[in-house]
Amino acid sequence: MLNVLRRRSGGDVRAIAKTPWWETHLRFFFIAPSMVLLAVMAVFPAIMSWRMAFSRVNFKLGELEIEPIGFANFTKAFSDNLIIGSTVRTAVWVLVVVSAEIVVGLFIAFLMSKLHSRARMLFTAALIIPLVLPPVSVGAGWLVMMDVNFGVLNYLLSLVGIEPLLWLADDRTALASIMLIDIWQASMFVFILMYAGILSLPQDPYEAAAIDGASPWQIFRDVTIPLLRPTFVVVLLLRTLDAARIADRMLAMTRGGPGSSTETVTLSIYKYAFIHFNFGYASALSVMFQVVLIILATFYIRRILRT
Amino acid sequence: MVGERSTPLVLSRHVLMLGVVLIVLAPVYWMLMIGLKTESEFSQIPPTIWPQEFTLEWFEAVLGKRGFGEQIMNSVIIAAIATSIAITVGSLAAYGLSRFQLPWGLNYHILFFILTVRMFPQTVTVVPLFIFFTQIGLIDTHLGMGLVHSMLELPLAVWMMLGFFRDIPRDLEEAAMVDGDHWLGAFRKVIVPLVRPGLAATSILILIASWNEFLFSLILTRTEAQTLPIAVANQVTQFDILYGRMMAASAISIIPVLIFTLLVQRNLIRGLTLGGVSGA
Repeated sequence: MLNVLRRRSGGDVRAIAKTPWWETHLRFFFIAPSMVLLAVMAVFPAIMSWRMAFSRVNFKLGELEIEPIGFANFTKAFSDNLIIGSTVRTAVWVLVVVSAEIVVGLFIAFLMSKLHSRARMLFTAALIIPLVLPPVSVGAGWLVMMDVNFGVLNYLLSLVGIEPLLWLADDRTALASIMLIDIWQASMFVFILMYAGILSLPQDPYEAAAIDGASPWQIFRDVTIPLLRPTFVVVLLLRTLDAARIADRMLAMTRGGPGSSTETVTLSIYKYAFIHFNFGYASALSVMFQVVLIILATFYIRRILRT
Repeated sequence: MVGERSTPLVLSRHVLMLGVVLIVLAPVYWMLMIGLKTESEFSQIPPTIWPQEFTLEWFEAVLGKRGFGEQIMNSVIIAAIATSIAITVGSLAAYGLSRFQLPWGLNYHILFFILTVRMFPQTVTVVPLFIFFTQIGLIDTHLGMGLVHSMLELPLAVWMMLGFFRDIPRDLEEAAMVDGDHWLGAFRKVIVPLVRPGLAATSILILIASWNEFLFSLILTRTEAQTLPIAVANQVTQFDILYGRMMAASAISIIPVLIFTLLVQRNLIRGLTLGGVSGA
């Protein structure tokens, strides 16, 4: 009878009979506000997007007209070269930045785990800094560093005898330039996760491996990497989904240009919705993108649950 | 893993890491310095690592610009609204989920659902929100933006606070209730003090995320509630780019985040695991 909380949630009839109704259903009141907020601000809009995806949408002066047109928006997407281009570009973006960030983040995490404890704290605090800065503001900073004439990056290249690059002004290097910035910022995120994963590794397998006389490389390959797999999948999940939705860096730095060399899926949808005001088509693209992301997420989450 | 001895190998690792840290921080240093250099100095080759002549002209120009002070205020107000809503609503849910068992395995499903919302493409929610907000007059308002940011950061709030509540042993609450307290009294006297550091850390992470958010703010504000990142971005795309002013504007948006980061360092790792801050 002492455990009031468990009694409330359990179902002791005498206890329930004595308490007012709202207190017996207290457990629902705790989660209700969150559910309402998410329903109103996320789920309801998402349902609306699905409806608009099958419609011609006209939104002028606060008047909304929705006229069903079946799958027309969807069929249009498959012959839209701009979207096909953005999709391929986004896939390349995800592949490059996520792999690079995992390599850099993992390297820093391992190096960090081999340092003295005081040094670790100081260095970790320093490495977190790029991660929390506003992407738009650091984008502005990199824009100055990537200036063709007096940017510090071209100066550094000239020191090692490399011709100056055009960086964001050249459609061949623009996407790679933004990739560099993303890798600089988000590798630190991968580092934090991997570092936490390494610190929580069990010690027993290492002792066993040491007794068997395994070499450091064998220990790394056969003990550390398999043990880190769950962390690995979580990192992949979070980074893949965030990288796939990228748009703010491009919006702030290049608006998708030069040409369409830095245009991503989210950026294209943004342009269809808020420059061409084609809400129906933009919604069809959004919901297709949502399906792709859900498939990706389920794929990873299944793996997380399996390990 | 490593004994606390200084062999050449251990020393070389520390030197290597110092190099990594310097490379990672160099761009931040460079950005902050350009805002303090005169125009002739930041466009000279070779560049100067330490400004030879400090100037505050860019900061004065930016802060004196009409609207910039308001944009700072907008960012502050919106971040405050978003943080208060997300932390209150999120902590309630997290406490409920950590202490009560809901029927039909709802605890698990709700947590999973909250995580899924974080993975929606931004455009799926922002286009309908633009329509609703226009219709009900929430567009370009602090309240509207605060609500949107609180929705975006709610998953972070719930998942982080869940961890903090789970760390508090139930025996503590039960002991308080044995002493004759109602659950609410136990909550106030036992849970709240214990979870305070977690609340502070989570709040600051939400604050940073709201401060940094760009896409939703760009679409759902025009003038009245325009936030700082939009102001910075506007400096970038005007093609008479004024580097000094742009860097001063960036610096003004970066400095508060730097300070907050130092405040929450210890609990930051936990929040970052949920990816609410990276903005990327």
